[in-house]
Amino acid sequence: MAGTFLRVEKIDVFYHDFHALWDVSIEVEEGLVVSIIGANGAGKSTLLNSIAGVLRPSTGVIEFGGKKINGLMPYQTVSEGISMVPEGRRMFPRLTVLENLEVGCYIPKARKRKDEVLRRIYELFPILGERKNQFSSTLSGGEQQMLAIGRALMCEPKLILFDEISLGLSPLIIKNIYQTVRQINSEGRITALLVEQDIQRSLKAAHKVYIMQSGKIRLKGIPKDLSQEEIRKAYFGL
Amino acid sequence: MLSFLAELKGPIVNGLLLGGLYGIIGIGMSMIFGIVRMVNLAHGDLVILASYLSLVTMVYFHISPLITLILVIPVMCLIGFVIQYYLLNRVLGKGMNPPLLVAFGLSIILQNLLLLIFTPDARALLTSISVQTIPVGDFLNLPVVYLVDFIGSIVTIALLSRFFNRTYLGKAIRAASDDEGAAQLMGINTKTIYAIAMGLATGTAGVAGILVGMTFTFYPHTGPEYLIIAFGVVIVGGLGSLLGTFLGGLILGLAQLLGAHFLGPGFQLLSGYIILLLVLTFKPTGLFAKG
Amino acid sequence: MKFLRSGRLYGIVLVMLALISLPYWASRYWVLVMLLFSINLALSEMWNLLAGYSGLVSLGQQAFIGLGGYALAVFSLYYGLPIWLSIIIGGTVSVIFALLISAPIFRMRGVYFAIGTWTVAETLRILFSNWKYVGYGMGLFVKPAYKLSFNTIYFTALGAGIASVALVYFLLRSKLGLGLMAIRDEETASETLGVDIFRCKLTCFLISAGVTGAVSGVLYLHNIFIQPYSAFGIDWTVRLVFITVIGGIGTIEGPIIGSFIYVFLHQWLSDYPSVSLLILGVIAIGVILVAPKGIMGTIQDKLGFEFLSPRRK
Repeated sequence: MAGTFLRVEKIDVFYHDFHALWDVSIEVEEGLVVSIIGANGAGKSTLLNSIAGVLRPSTGVIEFGGKKINGLMPYQTVSEGISMVPEGRRMFPRLTVLENLEVGCYIPKARKRKDEVLRRIYELFPILGERKNQFSSTLSGGEQQMLAIGRALMCEPKLILFDEISLGLSPLIIKNIYQTVRQINSEGRITALLVEQDIQRSLKAAHKVYIMQSGKIRLKGIPKDLSQEEIRKAYFGL
Repeated sequence: MLSFLAELKGPIVNGLLLGGLYGIIGIGMSMIFGIVRMVNLAHGDLVILASYLSLVTMVYFHISPLITLILVIPVMCLIGFVIQYYLLNRVLGKGMNPPLLVAFGLSIILQNLLLLIFTPDARALLTSISVQTIPVGDFLNLPVVYLVDFIGSIVTIALLSRFFNRTYLGKAIRAASDDEGAAQLMGINTKTIYAIAMGLATGTAGVAGILVGMTFTFYPHTGPEYLIIAFGVVIVGGLGSLLGTFLGGLILGLAQLLGAHFLGPGFQLLSGYIILLLVLTFKPTGLFAKG
Repeated sequence: MKFLRSGRLYGIVLVMLALISLPYWASRYWVLVMLLFSINLALSEMWNLLAGYSGLVSLGQQAFIGLGGYALAVFSLYYGLPIWLSIIIGGTVSVIFALLISAPIFRMRGVYFAIGTWTVAETLRILFSNWKYVGYGMGLFVKPAYKLSFNTIYFTALGAGIASVALVYFLLRSKLGLGLMAIRDEETASETLGVDIFRCKLTCFLISAGVTGAVSGVLYLHNIFIQPYSAFGIDWTVRLVFITVIGGIGTIEGPIIGSFIYVFLHQWLSDYPSVSLLILGVIAIGVILVAPKGIMGTIQDKLGFEFLSPRRK
């Protein structure tokens, strides 16, 4: 089952001397929404960064579509079909909304389809079309999040990594964003790997969840099969 | 009063035209400062290197300096790319001093290399336009070469502006300078991007070098003079905009020539320095700084 | 008192004796070399104090070299003051000038500070070139220095060199030094601990200005002829930067090693000054790439000790 099957197998990741991930393994099947839940410092972002290539695992393997990707630079994982919506949005403040999106399809094979993809992004997020010539730093938090997601979509990825997309946003906006994620997943057939602190939100949105604590996977399963008790224990490492 | 102003028209017009030249000298430094957050202390020497390159090409192929642009620009771009990719990229993360010191070292190497190869004799890229003037009405004589400098500067800056605003590469460079990590996530190889940006910057130094060589005499050690000018232009004009840098050049040129007019020719450079020091003290981000 | 018993003290005393007696057993060439070495040592210890310990990368020390040299020339030539007094005046003038420019200069950070200091020096250069009193760009001859013997000048220079190393050493062991080390390691944190960063840096700036000015006076006893282009020229800083970077920035011993290398290279290639500077530049870049802490810094890291350690035990 190649395609967009993401497999992280027994990786350890270090931040300088700090052992951030211990023997972590996850599997993301094609077309699913998978959520990684955990408190602050649980290692969720570290995991995403390792998949994206920002960090390098010291042991273990990361495979995507059957191909080994650990060891690739971040700009190379994009070509493999993995896109990331980074924590904190990370806009390019001195570029306009449109320019931000255009940078999103920087890789050559995405450039040809820019206009078509742009049209679809504007359909998905009309506000981006309205504000396309404004500097991205003038957008509100929710709008920036939409821009970040739109930007990640521009290169037509097979897998999108979402890093804490609900941070700092109001509940209504978060609800909209998650609806969009579901829409992207079901209509666009894009696999989504979400990192979240909000347990309920994740359980509602995901087909499969992993719960992390202190750099280790404590629990995995399908949301409806997991009990509140189990989840709580795993989340807090009890 | 009127005659006082009439007296000033020479310094003002010449100052503005000269300011155009200063603008293009400063553009390369402004780019590097804005993109890689580094001050290239060798910038002035790279400008002079281009002057010498043009000289060699001129003599070898018997062509006028402006034609040498065809050869000088690509060569300078390549030099800049190589310097950034193999040398400066290696010291970029390591604090503020190493890149400064490496550039400083490069500056000294360039100066002494030029000294060894070309001797300390004064040189100039002489063409017929070097001494011509165009009369404007009956009250002004514009040195043609200043005019050429000004136009050359505007054209180059306009082209650069188009590049940064209309091309993928240009936007990628701007993105990388805003947020290197996020740019990487977009598929941008920032190491190569920085080298390309540096190549562009030295390319503009190439244009500046030819224009400078046509306008003034140069020696192997003239580099630092133009470094200070470049820095003055960048500081006065502010970071983040090509237009700002150009305006900074105009202001500096004006200040210099007005200073020379009122205080004497020996004080031309000094006037520029005073303006630079004032701006550094009170508004180091520059007069036209963007966000 | 452990220090008095250590072998290092005896080593230092031995070297001192050798240096002091040098004119009596070595050739004039070597005395000259040590003279130049001492002067470069003093100047680079001061630059090191700024850049290596205070985080102030100055490209404008030549301002004080010019001021000190001209003070020597003017006060001994025009006013007939004794040479030693003129030298001291040179140091004082430098301190005063440093104080005057400190207000605007210290508002500049990092590379702005570097270029700002350089611009100040260039400004002085132009001013002195256009000043009739000091002979415009044609310079002055320090005639009163003619009557000094070569050995006298040597001893003065040697004294300056040794004194500057000692000064830096004891400075770093003082309370000021503690503050500097804290600043160097973690500037923002040290501020919250009550270290008055501004005062520390200003003090170092003034000290280095004064000493540089005074040492310049000694320098021009040897050079005899002073003119603005070279006295206020960036070449001085080039030398000091290279010496300190290669020798080991932020170490007391660094400038010692660096000065040796510089003077040796310079004398060996005295017919080809550009080549010596070229080589120096290449070495400097190589050092920054490969061993950014310089020769001494890398040795200290690898062997884990400091010869002239300012650390209190």
